[in-house]
Amino acid sequence: MKLRSARLGADTKHLLQGSVINRSQPLQFRLDGRVIPGFAGDTLLSAVLSAGIDTAGKRGGVNLALTTRHAPAIVPATTRDPSLALPMDRTPATDGADYVTLAHQLSRSPLARLLRRETNSLHLDLDRPDPLTRPWLGMAGTPGPDADLVVIGGGVAGMSAAVAGAKNGLRVMLIEATPQLGGHARLFGTMDGEETPDQSIIRLSNAVAASSKITVLTSAEAFALRPGMVRLHQVHLLNGACTGRVLDIPAPRSILATGAFERLPVFAGNRLPGVVGALEAFELAQNYGVWPGRTAIVATSSSPAYRLAMLAQDAGIEVKRIIDARPQPQSRFVEFAKAYGITQAAGTVVANAAPAAGEYGVAITPQLAMEGLSTVDAPIAADRLIACGGWQPDLTLWHMAGGEGRWSAATSRLEPGIAPAGIVLAGSAAGWFSRRACLDSGGDAVDCLLDKPRMPLQDQLIDPLYETPDGAAPIGDLPDDSGHPAYLDGGHGYLVRPRTLPSRWPSWLPFAPKPPSWSLDYTPQPLDIAEVAAGVQLGAIPPASAGIVAHERVAMVGIAAGDEPSSASGGAAPLLSPYLEGRYHGARLFVVAPTEQRVLNVGALIHADPDETDPLMAIGVVVRLTDGASIALVAGTEGQTASVREPGRAFTIQLVVLYEDGMNLAAALGRGASTP
Amino acid sequence: MSQTRADFVIVGSKPLARLVAGLLASVHGKSVIFAGESQSAYRLPRGVDLSVAPITRPETWDMLKPLVAETLKLISRIGGRSARSRVDPILFAENEPGKIALSHIRQMALAFGHAAEPIGEQALGPGRDGIILRDAVLLHRASLETALDHWLKQHLVRRLGPAETLSIREDGSAELISGDERVEIGQSVLADDMALLEHVSAAQWPSLLRRQLTTTIFTEPTRTIAAPVMLQLDSGLTLVQQPNRGITAMGPGNMDAFAVRLGVLLGGRREFRQAGQSSYQIVVTSDAAPAVGRLGGVGADILAGFGPTGAFFAPAIARWLAGVASLSENGWFAARLVDRNSASAWVADVGAGI
Repeated sequence: MKLRSARLGADTKHLLQGSVINRSQPLQFRLDGRVIPGFAGDTLLSAVLSAGIDTAGKRGGVNLALTTRHAPAIVPATTRDPSLALPMDRTPATDGADYVTLAHQLSRSPLARLLRRETNSLHLDLDRPDPLTRPWLGMAGTPGPDADLVVIGGGVAGMSAAVAGAKNGLRVMLIEATPQLGGHARLFGTMDGEETPDQSIIRLSNAVAASSKITVLTSAEAFALRPGMVRLHQVHLLNGACTGRVLDIPAPRSILATGAFERLPVFAGNRLPGVVGALEAFELAQNYGVWPGRTAIVATSSSPAYRLAMLAQDAGIEVKRIIDARPQPQSRFVEFAKAYGITQAAGTVVANAAPAAGEYGVAITPQLAMEGLSTVDAPIAADRLIACGGWQPDLTLWHMAGGEGRWSAATSRLEPGIAPAGIVLAGSAAGWFSRRACLDSGGDAVDCLLDKPRMPLQDQLIDPLYETPDGAAPIGDLPDDSGHPAYLDGGHGYLVRPRTLPSRWPSWLPFAPKPPSWSLDYTPQPLDIAEVAAGVQLGAIPPASAGIVAHERVAMVGIAAGDEPSSASGGAAPLLSPYLEGRYHGARLFVVAPTEQRVLNVGALIHADPDETDPLMAIGVVVRLTDGASIALVAGTEGQTASVREPGRAFTIQLVVLYEDGMNLAAALGRGASTP
Repeated sequence: MSQTRADFVIVGSKPLARLVAGLLASVHGKSVIFAGESQSAYRLPRGVDLSVAPITRPETWDMLKPLVAETLKLISRIGGRSARSRVDPILFAENEPGKIALSHIRQMALAFGHAAEPIGEQALGPGRDGIILRDAVLLHRASLETALDHWLKQHLVRRLGPAETLSIREDGSAELISGDERVEIGQSVLADDMALLEHVSAAQWPSLLRRQLTTTIFTEPTRTIAAPVMLQLDSGLTLVQQPNRGITAMGPGNMDAFAVRLGVLLGGRREFRQAGQSSYQIVVTSDAAPAVGRLGGVGADILAGFGPTGAFFAPAIARWLAGVASLSENGWFAARLVDRNSASAWVADVGAGI
């Protein structure tokens, strides 16, 4: 199987040529022994995808796509040291580098291993626990530079917040996960009267660069947040080699401008190679000129996907169809797409997907799913399926820091609730839709943190008559036993929708198998916020509980420094613990001795009568064995005999002498040695 | 505005609150309002319901023994087999006071006919002592909660709705407003920690009670631990391993510090991955014994500090609230009133001073 390059041509003018790569500077590196070509500006992941490798490996015997959110960590081939692991999507491709993937490889025959170099898969065994491990999540942070304000997210809202913070005299640390500032605004286009996304990004990037108070960390992913402390992992070049470091940034104020996740529509086969989200497809193409295949189908419930379809068509990709889950979508993008001649189908979802016949692509089954209507169309195939399920504010760090969330039935997404101390959201993470509101929210977040007067923000949205709001993430058929899994999200979690059980009985019969009922309560893995949102849509989480579940089940990373002192340092126990107080009226401490060769047990009950078995009638208890002697708390008198009941039988003891602190116990027992 | 009356409002979400509400209505013929949420299936657990606990006081073992049988009979009728399971929990300790307390607990358990066997370092790790208590019962909150809610409905226990407001007065009476309806309630019972934290003002807060920051961590599947339920005496940490090998760990401390302690306990730092976590306040008594009775002698009734066995005390608590408790039950509760002087309390139990 010969791999097809997924790099779009640069011969004709279009917007998906790759704005951050330099085609005049080719390079190559090795990954698992395979030579991967690329260009300066590529990340390891963009280069690997451009080389035609679109599959991470197999889970349950089914290929899963290699994506930005589902890629293995890599380590230098020379050391294979997990502590040097790097993420593929944040590591720049460098000429001559040699890496291996950190994940376990599928076991294969020697012949298959030889041939695998020509396949489109990394051949990872995704059935193992935590198959795409990220070792840096468990590493301790080294102290980084402190700041007055940390802004997480270098999109337009984050840059706006950083600039506003600097203008207020704060030392600002701006943290961006990708190699460059800018964020996702470019996909969403422009409204009349606005500056373009590029104009906003350039204006703000220049202001950030011009400010001496702003420090920018790119390729730096914040993965843990508490009030006052951010932990991040950054990839940086050190002596020409890419290395990673974990930094702890102390800051009394944080602004989260982490943007929004793109929801994965839930249908069987939604993570097959060839299925990709609209935002990821756009950014791979716009930044790196990567677009696998020559044909595509777009399935969406959000209008920006139409814009992507048009940009792809401009770049020479044949968009076979746009299917939209919304019954009557209205948008300027919808009208433009019609003018492009792209076939559209409203009120339609992807019922399921399967690998297309041949080497590449996916075949999808569209399903008309409007109220009261459900009609399955004939399958259609394309090299690529762009699947867009709308946008979920990324509240992951918010929840980690103690922020609350709640389900919004109106927008079918989780939205922020009560804020943790010193932390404010901005941009689409705060729930804003329009770029104007996102830009304004950056400054507003700074005002909020500084307790300054705030101006009310407003989302300037086009009237729904002309711009249909995003629909809920599309949900396809309940997968059956023979279909591919339907995942709830496209990240490191592998939660799937339960399948229907095969049955030869009609479903109306009382003994026919019932549709699977399920709950995510005891799923023993963290739940991404998109998985929680999907769980609500699928009825596995009640809407009223969604905020709690998202808050409690976030993939938390501990950031405590050092080990806790062991509880073994509890010190000496007092002879009379509080739980013995008042137990036996008039009781005193005695040195006691069994009349036969026995060792008493602490806690053994002492009775006046050897035949007594009722513990409520006990007159005392053995409280300590020390220096070979036994000390007991007994309501008795010196010289008295009593009985100790232990499993099996009772035996006699004598209350030898009243116990006193510091007394010679051996002498008290009348012996020279301190053995019982 | 229409006006009606109710005898009790029970505030709380744990099984103890539901059982007390239902028993007051079904057995004692009281009109009851229940104010609590039903989130056990979705919220991380904040405690366990177990028929045994680290108890050293003979009168408590004596009280608990028949109550366990009585409660299990009731729960089996209400929730069936899915509401409970049989477990052999382990109590263990690392420090000297904890190990001594373990000995007392073991002897007391044996004296009351409960099989309790020592286990040592081989099962628990170096420096640890433990005992395994045989034939205990663990309640499954998530499934039990659904069944108890249905049971409450059957016995006409009114549920406080989201649009209704409940105001508890300092004399313990309360008022429920629901639209045009007003319900006058004779006595309020604050039956769990959340209820106490929400409804007891700082001025009313009893000196016996302390707020304690507590954390629950739910782990991804990890190595099998020595028993499905384990309680560490000296740290107050509880481990519950699910059939899928995920562990729910609960204990005092903030999230990060608790995660480190859990890592050490599970055999090395970070040998587990967190699948969920939550930090919250609980209420503990300064002498580690339960606290009951009216705030300041005249206010709302409180139920606090019962530990894992709380649900199993429900039948006795319901009798006591209804004024039909036995002589021994009355004596047990009278010794554990919330306004007792904890400095000289003769009811202090394990946990105090460890």
